[in-house]
Amino acid sequence: MSLLIHILKFKLLTFIKVQGDINVKSAVKQISSSIVYILFAVGIFFFTRNIVTYLMEDVRIGMFLLHRFIFVVLFIFFMTVNIGNIVVSYSTFFKTREVGFLLTMPISFAKIFLIKFLDNFFYSSSTLLLMVTAALAGYTSYFGLPWYFIPFAVVFLILPFMFIAGTLGAITLLVIMRFAATFGIKKVLVTIASVYGATIILFYIFSSPVQLVTKVFAYFPNIDNYFGFLESPAIKLLPNHWVADALYWISSGKFTAAGWYVYLLILVSILFFLFALYLAKKWFYKTWLVFLNLSSELSVKKKSNGKSVFSFEKKSSLMPRREALVKRELLLFIREPSQWTHFIVMLFLITIFIVSISSIDVMILNAYNIYLKTLIYLIIYLFNVFLIASMALRFIFPLVSLEGETIWKIRSAPLDYKKLMLTRLFIYFSVIFVIGQLLNFVSNYQFSIMLTLISQLNTAFVTITLVSLNFGMGAAYANYKEKNPIRVASSQGASLTFLFTIIYLVFLIVLLFAPLSNYFYEFDKSSLASLSQLIYTSLILGTFALIVSYLSISKGVRHFLKDI
Amino acid sequence: MLKLTNLTKKFGNFTAVNNINLEINAGDFFGFLGQNGAGKTTTIKMITGLFAPTNGSVHIGGYDIQKNHIEAKKLIGYIPDQPFLYDKLTGKEFLFFCGGLYKIEKSKLKNKIDETIDQLKIEQWVNKRTEEYSQGMKQRIAIASALLHNPKLLVVDEPMVGLDPQSALLVKNALRRKASEGVAIFMSTHSLNVAEEVCSRIGIIKDGQMIFEDKKEVVEEIIGTDHQNLESLFLHMTK
Repeated sequence: MSLLIHILKFKLLTFIKVQGDINVKSAVKQISSSIVYILFAVGIFFFTRNIVTYLMEDVRIGMFLLHRFIFVVLFIFFMTVNIGNIVVSYSTFFKTREVGFLLTMPISFAKIFLIKFLDNFFYSSSTLLLMVTAALAGYTSYFGLPWYFIPFAVVFLILPFMFIAGTLGAITLLVIMRFAATFGIKKVLVTIASVYGATIILFYIFSSPVQLVTKVFAYFPNIDNYFGFLESPAIKLLPNHWVADALYWISSGKFTAAGWYVYLLILVSILFFLFALYLAKKWFYKTWLVFLNLSSELSVKKKSNGKSVFSFEKKSSLMPRREALVKRELLLFIREPSQWTHFIVMLFLITIFIVSISSIDVMILNAYNIYLKTLIYLIIYLFNVFLIASMALRFIFPLVSLEGETIWKIRSAPLDYKKLMLTRLFIYFSVIFVIGQLLNFVSNYQFSIMLTLISQLNTAFVTITLVSLNFGMGAAYANYKEKNPIRVASSQGASLTFLFTIIYLVFLIVLLFAPLSNYFYEFDKSSLASLSQLIYTSLILGTFALIVSYLSISKGVRHFLKDI
Repeated sequence: MLKLTNLTKKFGNFTAVNNINLEINAGDFFGFLGQNGAGKTTTIKMITGLFAPTNGSVHIGGYDIQKNHIEAKKLIGYIPDQPFLYDKLTGKEFLFFCGGLYKIEKSKLKNKIDETIDQLKIEQWVNKRTEEYSQGMKQRIAIASALLHNPKLLVVDEPMVGLDPQSALLVKNALRRKASEGVAIFMSTHSLNVAEEVCSRIGIIKDGQMIFEDKKEVVEEIIGTDHQNLESLFLHMTK
C-alpha cells in the first residue's frame, strides 16, 4: 500500500508541477479555459433546468417518465464512459513507456494496473463529470432540493456509476487481450462488438420507451406514481436504472427508498473494482505479453507483405513533395491501430445513425405541429453536426501534435509550412467533408430539393468551421511529446475545443430555428415556401466559416513556426 | 557558406547564446566544442531555423535563414543529437519521405538512397520499422537522410552518441569524405578525440560566448607549447 501511495504521490507531484508551471501565457490560457468551462457548466445547468421544466410543465410527462428519460440518457452516458475507457486503456495499459518502466520495478502487476487505471479514468472522465455535475445542479434547482444534494449525488451516485462503467471497460480490455492469445484478436473483437451491439438492441427491446409511455398514460392523471411494475425485471439490473430510481425517490422526498440504490451502486462498484484487480493480478502481465506478440506478429506480417499500396517506390502522378507528405500521412494512419480502429468505430456509428434516421424522416413529414417538425429536423441536423465535430476533434485536433518529435526534419527542410499544413489538413478535411455531405443528404432527401441543397451548403460551411477550429486549437495546444492521438484528443485543449463546439451548436440552433419553422409553416400552407430566410442563414454561416477558417489556419501555422 | 553575425538567443532573462560571429567556408570541417548547457544546441537550432534568433543573423550560402528560409534550407543537411523518426515508417520509407521534401526526382532518389544505404552499411535493417531501431541505427538513418540532397552545409549535433566503434568509423569517414568534396561541416561534439582527428577548425563556446576559434594548426601549436592534448586545452579554457 505504501508503495502505491508513493507512486501516486509522485504522479500527483508531476501533475501539479506541470499545471503549476505558470507564466503569463499559460496563466491567460488557464484563465480563459476556466471561463469557458464555467460558461459551459452554466449553459448545461440552464439547459437541463429548462428541459426538465418543459417536460414536466409543458409536455406533462410526469415524475416516472421523466426519470425513465434520465434512465435512457444515463445508458448512453454509461456506454460512452465504458467504450471510451476500453479504447483509451489500450494505450494507457500497453503502449505507454511508463508501464514498460514500472514492469522492470519490483511492483505487483495489480498495482501497475491500478495506477494506470486511475490515471486513465480520471484523465478521460473529468470533462464528462463536469457536464454531469452541471446537469445535476439544473435538476436540483428544478426540484428545489438543498444545494448539498449536488456533492452528495456526485460522490455517491455518479462517481460509483462512472466507476462501474470504467472498471467494466478495463475488465473487457483484459478479457479481449487474454482471449486474443487463444482465439486471435479478430475473432475476439468481432465477438465483443457483437455482444455490445446485442446489448444496445436488447436494452431498447426490454426498456421499450414507446410502449412504456402508452402504459403509463393509461393511468393518467396519476402519472407521478412509481410504475416499476410495468417494466421488464431485466432492466432493473442495470446501474443506470439504480441511479434514475434513486433520483426519482430523492426528488419525491423518500430518501430511505433511494438509500438502497446508493448502497447497491457503491457495493457493485467496489465488487467490480476488486474483480478487475483480481483479473489484473492474474492476467495483466500475460496481456502485456499478448500485446507484445501482437505487435511483433503485425511487424512480421508487414515485412512479408512486401510493397504496400502506398509504397514510396511505386510510381506516382503527384509531385515529389506532395507524394512524400500524402504517403507519409496515409502510412502513419493505417499503421497506428488507435487511428484506424477509432475511425472504423466512428464509421460504424455513422452507419447506425444513417439507418436510424430513415424512419425518423417519415416522422418529420407526418408531424402535425410545425414546432415539433422543426425541433425534430434540428435535432437530426445537430446530430449530423455533432458527428462531424467528433471526427474533427478526434482526427484534426491532434494533427499538429502528431508531427511529433520528428518535427526537426520538417522544420529543417525547405518547405512552405503553410502549404504543408494545408496539404495535411486537406486530406482529412476531404474525408470528413464527404461523410458530412452524405449524412446530410440521407437526413434531407425526403424534403424539397431546395431545402436539401441549402442544407448541403450549410453542412459544408459547418464542416469548414469545425475543421478549421480544431486545427487552430490543436496547433495552439500542440504537444509534440505525446505520441498517442487519443490522449491528444482528450487533453485540456481538446476539452476547450469541444466546449467551443457546443457553443457553436447553440449558435446554430438559434440561427436556424426561426427560418426553418417559417419555412415548414409556409410549406405546409402552399408547398411554395420562400427560401430567402434560409439563404440569409447560409450567408451568415458562410461568412462565419470564412472568418473562423482564416483566423484558425493562420494562427495554427504561426504556432507551428514557434521555437521548438 | 555559413555566416553567423552577432548571433544572440535569449530565453527570458537568460542569454543562451551571446553575440557569436563566425564564418565557415566550403570544405571547412568546424568542430564546435563546449560544456553541457554552453549553448551549442541552441546555436545549431538557430542555424537550422528551429529557433529564431533574438538578435543577429544566420546566412547560409548568402541566404538569411529567417528571411529566405526555403532557399537556405535547400543547402543544409541537419543531423540532430536525438534523431526522432516516425516509428511506423521503415528506415527506407523515411528516406523516401525526406527525399520528397527536397523534391528529388524518384529515379535519382532511388539511386541516391541505394548509394547511401551502401555507404552507411544499413541495408540489413533499412526495411524494418524504425520503432525497432537502436539509438545508433536511428542515428545512421538520420545521417543518411541528411546526405540525400547533396547539401552544401552539414550541421551535425553530437554525431557519435550511441554509435558502436564500427559505426563511428563509418560516420567519421562519411563526414570526412563530404568535407573533402567541398561540403562545409559544422559539428558540435563532446568527443574531443573525434574533433582533434577530423576537424580543420575548432571553436569553443562557454556560457553562450565563443571564447576560442581558430584553425587546427593553431590549436596544435597551442597544445604543443602548453598542453598535452585538446582535452587538457579544453578543460583549461572552460574551467
